Amino acid sequence: MRTRRRTKQFVLAATVAAWALALTGCTAGVAEPSGSGDEVSLTFLVSETPNLTAQYWDDAIARASEKVPGVTIKKVVGENTPAYAQQLFASGQAPDIFATGIANGLAQKGMLAEYTRDEMEKAGVTDFTSGTINGKFYGVAVGAQAIPLVYYNKDLFTKAGISDAPKTYAELLDDCAKLKAAGITPFEIGGGGKDTWATNFALASAVAADVLTVDPGWFLKRAKGEVKFSDRVFVGAAKKVQDLTQNGYGDKAAMTRSYADLEQAFLGGKAAMYPMGSWFAAAADKAKLTNIGVFGWPSDAGKSAVPTVSGSGMNVNAKSKNVELAKKWSLAFATDKQNRDLGVITDGDIVTVKDYEIPGNVGAVYKETVKAYDAALAAGATVPAWANITGDGALPPGFSDLMTAANVDLLTGKKTPAQFAQYLDQKYAAAQK
Amino acid sequence: MQMQNKYRLAPRNPLHVLLFAVPGAVLYAVFVLWPLLLALWSSFTDEDAYRLTTSFVGFDNYGRLFTDPAYLQTLRNTVILALICIVVPNALGLGIAVLLDRAGWAFNVMRAVFFIPVILSSVVVAVIWQQMLKDDGLINASLRAFGVADPPGWLSDPSLALYSVGWITAWQAVGTCVVLYLAGLQSIPKELLEAASIDGAGPVRRFRAVTWPLLAPSVTIMTVLSMIGGFKIYDQVKVMTNGGPGVGTTSTLAFDVVRTGIDAGAVGYGAAKAAAMFFMIAAISLLAIRVMRRREVDL
Amino acid sequence: MTAEAGVGHRTSGRRQLASQIEAGRAGPARTLIALILTAVFIYPIYLVVLNAFKTQDAIYRYPGLPTLSLTWRNFVDVLTRPDGLFWTGLINSVQITVVGTLLSTVLAAMMAHYIVRSTGWFAKMLWVVIPLGVMIPPATTLLPLLRMMRDLGLIGSVFGLIVLYVAGSLPFGVLVFTGFMRTIPKELEEAAAMDGAGPVRTFWSIVFPLLRPAGASVVIFIAVGLWNDFITPLIILGPANGSTITVGMYRQISEHVSNYGAVFAYMVLATIPILVLFIFMQKHFVKGLLGGATKG
Repeated sequence: MRTRRRTKQFVLAATVAAWALALTGCTAGVAEPSGSGDEVSLTFLVSETPNLTAQYWDDAIARASEKVPGVTIKKVVGENTPAYAQQLFASGQAPDIFATGIANGLAQKGMLAEYTRDEMEKAGVTDFTSGTINGKFYGVAVGAQAIPLVYYNKDLFTKAGISDAPKTYAELLDDCAKLKAAGITPFEIGGGGKDTWATNFALASAVAADVLTVDPGWFLKRAKGEVKFSDRVFVGAAKKVQDLTQNGYGDKAAMTRSYADLEQAFLGGKAAMYPMGSWFAAAADKAKLTNIGVFGWPSDAGKSAVPTVSGSGMNVNAKSKNVELAKKWSLAFATDKQNRDLGVITDGDIVTVKDYEIPGNVGAVYKETVKAYDAALAAGATVPAWANITGDGALPPGFSDLMTAANVDLLTGKKTPAQFAQYLDQKYAAAQK
Repeated sequence: MQMQNKYRLAPRNPLHVLLFAVPGAVLYAVFVLWPLLLALWSSFTDEDAYRLTTSFVGFDNYGRLFTDPAYLQTLRNTVILALICIVVPNALGLGIAVLLDRAGWAFNVMRAVFFIPVILSSVVVAVIWQQMLKDDGLINASLRAFGVADPPGWLSDPSLALYSVGWITAWQAVGTCVVLYLAGLQSIPKELLEAASIDGAGPVRRFRAVTWPLLAPSVTIMTVLSMIGGFKIYDQVKVMTNGGPGVGTTSTLAFDVVRTGIDAGAVGYGAAKAAAMFFMIAAISLLAIRVMRRREVDL
Repeated sequence: MTAEAGVGHRTSGRRQLASQIEAGRAGPARTLIALILTAVFIYPIYLVVLNAFKTQDAIYRYPGLPTLSLTWRNFVDVLTRPDGLFWTGLINSVQITVVGTLLSTVLAAMMAHYIVRSTGWFAKMLWVVIPLGVMIPPATTLLPLLRMMRDLGLIGSVFGLIVLYVAGSLPFGVLVFTGFMRTIPKELEEAAAMDGAGPVRTFWSIVFPLLRPAGASVVIFIAVGLWNDFITPLIILGPANGSTITVGMYRQISEHVSNYGAVFAYMVLATIPILVLFIFMQKHFVKGLLGGATKG
């Protein structure tokens, strides 16, 4: 009797196992190259966010595919970081096309296909400076970003009796003092846990203003070892950042906030200024705020820093089944008017495609951001967004994580600016290959 | 002859090895041991994900390891976490087990409640506690409501963050200890406790003289498991502090291995860190198991 | 101490368990202290469940308090995501957990039987080598594993992940089962062998049923481990074939948006299946732990 019951149980378990195995069979296996006849099937790695939803990608892919016959695109969803791309290559799972720029490190190893200037010009690309690697093109630069600009709350400025955005660093400090005296936290600088990277924007701003407005090629020289972080000019910028928090100009609760909470805090008026990438314009406009202005972090001499970078995404796997077609499709995808419009609305992209016109329904903060960008461009005053660029002059792989951690020590006063710079020099040397 | 065949025990039947031991052993060798050997091998090279050439460097990576102050800090962090993971859940678990060692549906429910964190993903636990512990999180909000003007930065103060990570790991492990110690307590023959009572032993003395020695094997097992768990901490650090605040204040061995070998692409050096970690865990575990076995003989 | 004597002690201990529970009644002071302690301990979980039913606005304003307007909205959001993050994760996780747990439990039980009953060198070697597996932190072998899986063509597949899990969970199962198996008298099997049963039948009809309490704790621990594992599926499964429920949760969290309600709702949904499993196996589970604990 007992044995029979056991047998029954065992049969049940076996059936469950068999059923589950059968299901496994259905979903297992890497993307099969299906495609009948002349159709080429290519995989396209994207990352879905609340701004760039599944629906957005599906529609955008469909529009590009319409223009390039003979291609079927299979969307795969993953993270858009170089480290993750590296893993995909290491594990033989690399897709044909990467939506977001991951070229640095991989291009040098010959893993990505090169675009020619000719094919890019034909497609309407106008930016040939961003994201180059050893002077060659591995991605398509169509949407520029300014990282970071300083967004500020006009209402809070008015409350503290400040009428204009600061033009020099002395004015900025003066404004901070006024804000603090009025009981307003001047800066929202922070980010904790996996969002610790968000703490970097103050440093990124100060270095852009003090180092790069004087010498835009500073980080190219750093790569060659001609300059060092411990040089007076870099240490000076680091000291400014430390002084801000040591003087109590930062939001005390910000250091453990997630990135999303940080944004909420500034939108909610918890602090007057927020150094952040130009994508913040989209969030501010979405919240329908009209009291947000923007300026470039000023240097002592009164130059304002507008650090820019073009996301040179649409990197093509050199081992793709059909590199030419993959490039052609990528260019079509990158320059599609509607795709770019969505980039503008959802991510605050500053589009650089030839003859592109900004859609009419953009928000006020976006318009201000573009104005600041255009003005800097016209004056020849833009500098590379040193912490975010992916091509020549980019920080070596793994260095950003270390810099982020050390920057927290700088902000909390655990490292002096000189110690901070020395640490960076040491880690930079180790990270250079 | 035939009789003997019939009496033959399963263990001496060749089918026994083939069906019972070989399939598992093959899987284990291919998917557990072999990768370990590969990792060991690459720890003797300077392999790097972002460079084309790789060469053999002997023990260089290991030499670098123990002169690297950042690594020594990571080691220290991990030892502290492992100690927290041994002491806190075991002490709390034992206390709660003694408290809950009573009949009734309410106590049944409470026993189950303590086990809930055990079945949660450590990612979930980390996210929940991050909400509680951040500077303007619930704990500090409550402290402020009670008049504490400047509550501690549980995750932002470099000298506190490590202990916060230790606490949430311990919190998740308490349930296992409670269940285990309850099981141990309930297996203690009542006669022994009664006999001790008759001899005039009070509750404290009864606990020390009867309960504690009988629980000892449970305690040693939990100590070894907690310690190994403490040495492996990764998810909590990744989610809650990302190794910070600041340089390496909560970096653990596992976190450092992933950051070096995968994020920064230093495969060879990362593998040396991984191998060192494995040898440390293995050595301490073997030591602990020896101690455990000796104790069991005493029983 | 012989195996038989050990069993004698154990069974009397277990019989004791029932009477002990009947005996001890709690006084009001103890009940009150226990209730307060339990409430404090579980408060963070309560918070998650509570906030899963609140609107975004309410979470921000009154994070720790129940509000009047509770909503299903967050659950609907998670379940109806256009990319089906939750559902594909659920299907994958159920397959992986069910198949992986069953296979590794059975394999571990069989191997434990071999280790305990055989006196040969192979059994001795296994008993030395297998426990090493418990000590290998997953982070250490991830990279070589990744390449190996690629070369075997198992990368990106649920099947490959299951194979990995079966091999990886084996040491834990073997450790628990051998401890338990040593307490089972050989004579039972000898009697079955005398009746002409082969090793397989002896094992299935005599030994395996006796392992049930230990089996329950092995199943629970392995199932919880597989269900909650994060880093292995993140890397082995890759982006092409969706994710598991835990990796999906990370994606839900890592999005740069402050939709905590949906995150909490996802957490609750992702925990329900494993909670149900635990509740069903709870009784056996405690017994198994008891066996493993008192006998090593």
